[in-house]
Amino acid sequence: MIVYQSMTLVYLCGIAAIILGGVLAVFVPDTAKAKVVALFTGIGSMLAVYPCIRVLAGAKPFFFILCASRTFGDVPLVIDRLSAFFVIVISTVSFLGTLYAVGYIRPYCNQNKDLASHFLFLSLLIASMLLTVTFHHALAFLTAWEIMSLSSFFLLTFEHEKSEVYDAGLNYLVSMHVGVVFLIIGFILLSQSSGSFDFSSFKAALNKGQLSVFTVFVIFFIGFGMKAGFVPLHTWLPRAHPAAPSHISGIMSGIMIKTGIYGIFRVITFIDSPLPEIGYFVLIISLVSGLLGVAYAIAQHNLKKLLAYHSVENIGIIGIGAGLLGLSYHNTPMALLGFSGAILHVLNHAVFKSLLFYAAGIVYHQTHTVDIERLGGLGKHIPFAAAAFLTGAVAISGLPPLNGFISEFFIYMGMFKGLQSGMFLSVSLSLTISGLAFIGAMAMLCFTKAFGVVFLGSPRSHYPNTVFNAGISIKAAMTIQCLMIVGIGLFPAQVFSVIVRIASQFVEIGNYSLGPTLQMLGNLSKGFFIFLTITALLWMLRVFMLRKAGVYAEDNLCKLSFLKKLSLSKYRYKTWDCGYQAGNVRMQYTASSYAAPFIGIIKPVLDYKEQIVYPSASAYRETPKKAGTCLFPVSGSFESRTQDRIETCIIAPVISLIIRFLNLFSWIQSGNIQQYILYGLIFLTAVTLWIMGV
Amino acid sequence: MYLKEINMIMLLILPFLFIGIINRTKSFWGGRKGPPLLQSLFDVIKLFQKGEVISHTASFVFQISPVISFASVICAGLFVPMVHQKSVLSFEGDFLLFSYILATGKFFSIISAMDTGSSFEDMGASREALFSSLVEPAFFMMLGTLGIIAGGLSFSDMISFSRQLGQYALLISMLCVIIMFVMLLTEGCRVPVDDPNTHLELTMIHEVMVLDNSGPGFALIQYGAAMKMLIISSVIINLMLPAAVTGPLAFIAMMAVTALIIGTIESLTARVRMTHIPKFILFMSSVSFILLSITVVLVYGRIR
Repeated sequence: MIVYQSMTLVYLCGIAAIILGGVLAVFVPDTAKAKVVALFTGIGSMLAVYPCIRVLAGAKPFFFILCASRTFGDVPLVIDRLSAFFVIVISTVSFLGTLYAVGYIRPYCNQNKDLASHFLFLSLLIASMLLTVTFHHALAFLTAWEIMSLSSFFLLTFEHEKSEVYDAGLNYLVSMHVGVVFLIIGFILLSQSSGSFDFSSFKAALNKGQLSVFTVFVIFFIGFGMKAGFVPLHTWLPRAHPAAPSHISGIMSGIMIKTGIYGIFRVITFIDSPLPEIGYFVLIISLVSGLLGVAYAIAQHNLKKLLAYHSVENIGIIGIGAGLLGLSYHNTPMALLGFSGAILHVLNHAVFKSLLFYAAGIVYHQTHTVDIERLGGLGKHIPFAAAAFLTGAVAISGLPPLNGFISEFFIYMGMFKGLQSGMFLSVSLSLTISGLAFIGAMAMLCFTKAFGVVFLGSPRSHYPNTVFNAGISIKAAMTIQCLMIVGIGLFPAQVFSVIVRIASQFVEIGNYSLGPTLQMLGNLSKGFFIFLTITALLWMLRVFMLRKAGVYAEDNLCKLSFLKKLSLSKYRYKTWDCGYQAGNVRMQYTASSYAAPFIGIIKPVLDYKEQIVYPSASAYRETPKKAGTCLFPVSGSFESRTQDRIETCIIAPVISLIIRFLNLFSWIQSGNIQQYILYGLIFLTAVTLWIMGV
Repeated sequence: MYLKEINMIMLLILPFLFIGIINRTKSFWGGRKGPPLLQSLFDVIKLFQKGEVISHTASFVFQISPVISFASVICAGLFVPMVHQKSVLSFEGDFLLFSYILATGKFFSIISAMDTGSSFEDMGASREALFSSLVEPAFFMMLGTLGIIAGGLSFSDMISFSRQLGQYALLISMLCVIIMFVMLLTEGCRVPVDDPNTHLELTMIHEVMVLDNSGPGFALIQYGAAMKMLIISSVIINLMLPAAVTGPLAFIAMMAVTALIIGTIESLTARVRMTHIPKFILFMSSVSFILLSITVVLVYGRIR
């Protein structure tokens, strides 16, 4: 028996269309596969988004209940406001991701790659993410969650012939399954207590007092945090993202890890009034994630690894914002602004992080490397990617007037609103405010490094002459994302009035008036427009002055190609090198030297190793150590390596302990088939006896 | 009264005077006569009439950056309380926009330095990014502390906290002034953090970043740097002597005193070794931590 509303059918049709696209892609030639998937994902996304917009516009939650069987109970699929928001984010970013894939995958066509399964799994991933955020039933949720983890594993190992990709994939698979174990434990605890798998029964079960709310929350937090990438559960992220192709990195980092955030949000709705210790727990973990994520990112010289660590940072910012403390201290403005900031940051991060990954993908296709130290001056080769990366970089550093600032502004204001309610709270909030400021400043350092070294200056190595033609699909996808970034940035008040409806699912707004907040945001965008106006006026003034001075390069303005060698002045000369006349490209500052002073400061949390190797030292009969100090210089090479100290000091020892424990049982695995059949028999007999009640 | 207009005019004109007084003070201590007070204004006018030479390596970013940086400083200046503790624009949370819009300007000035592909300018960029990232946490901890005391959440309200605190206000405001003063020296690139007059590129921070700029672009950079110092010292003045800033003349006089102090420090101290600068800036964090502790004790400890 099925009970449903017609709106949910539209939603389910959308999901069916997405899967259908993946299936159809199997039967068409390689070059058309991506287009078919993008088309069907586009249609499916539109269908899926429509009911969600209705929900956000004020309609009652839509539901679809499948009365499956006695053991499962009713399986509800509900689109409430929280689910609706996540559905919108997932379908928008996935559609743009598949659109980007059309251009990105082209070099792989006719290379004997298994594109058919790749696109099938891509559709499955998108569909399973949509189902994950709408199922309100523990078993169905876990099934969708598992499909999501498995399909993303296959997407991740696209270039599985490379050993590092394979390792990264296995690492990801194991991490996800450790996470799932915690989720299963959490759901068992709740459904044992409530007698049902339905999410709506969990709230009563959790607040009956039999279960410790804090323990249950921590179990769920570990399970979901593994997917989201909170420190110290983040170790799969920096491996997985460099291994995956860029459209997959974009989708995974942009939205898949957000399903972990969705899970945490969903668990919060189970809790009646969160205890302060839950709030402080989330706050501390998030702050540490934010600080360490960005600090590790600065030390990375692989562009995609750097972006992966930034996901850890942004997950931390979202966690800081999830204003649980506001809920437990019954401070409505603080909770409301905090949750709005967190929710908006989910959207913002999805948009700018995937944009940055897409730009990195263009860099990879152009140069066949993402090693920052080998890049440079790419702004002139691929101006479009440079402009997109710059937009994303300014946004992710949380700088006005783009969207990253808006969500951080909400989070800051939430904390400032809570400063006057209690000593312990105000001290921890002051420290968090200062930590968040430090995160923002470090993000700026990191992205000036990434953008400056990769796209500006002169090339640090020789690139292939062929220019990667981005094509209309890549440009369209990335332009839409840039517009979203700017749009959310410039019109925060309008965005807030939508976001606050989602936040009100957590926070009782009551008679709290939103007027002052909206006014504040209106003033904010007034400030932005003043800033932009001043910029435009000054630019015109500068053009006017150059024209008056008679040095204005008229001919250059005709080919107004953005970020190219466009110059206002007709005088060009080489870079001032302080009188030294033989400067060359090798003397440019590198990413390592740019980050070196900072790495010196954060050494306690980072494993940083430098090594100078003298291959020719033996020829001089010198010990390698002495070679550096000998009279005549010998040729040598320098390498530095940074490692995550969280991983080497916390994760690795734990894993080796577990392995030692599991080795105790290795005698069970004899490799003898007869013996395994015996195990099966013993198990079946035992189960039969147990059921028969002996 | 025309407070907003007066503040706007001050914001635009006083930076030149400020730099002039600093330079005259330095000349006095050095036994020289010194340049005219408005020399920096003449420099800017002169630079504006010149052409620009742009590096072959540089791209569009290099040309738009001075404009964005300067616009960010003006825009930040609109939120800063000046005469009568009033700012041109004031709303809840404006201090966040103040701080972050300055950061936008800094972001662009850093990447514009990296755009030239010169190792010297990149070196300056790296240092600027590091030092300013160390300033932020202390500044925000101070804002957080003021948020505990203050009645409202706009820059002007937070700075005029003394009404809430009574006799201990002086202690709090002195600590805030110390923090802001270190911030002024760091952001304004003055001794002991950076020496605007040094001629050795390897030891410079801000000056080395703009080696390739010329003409109107360079004029905007110079003007912007001076204006940034003015707005930070305006915060200091409002923190230090809230009662004294009642009119434009009093404000200008206070500004002159601040400039005198900066000039004197610049003449009488040596700059810190490059490797020690982070320690000097982190001193600011310690002070803001002390500030936070004291404030919490005062507010919640019933000492009042």
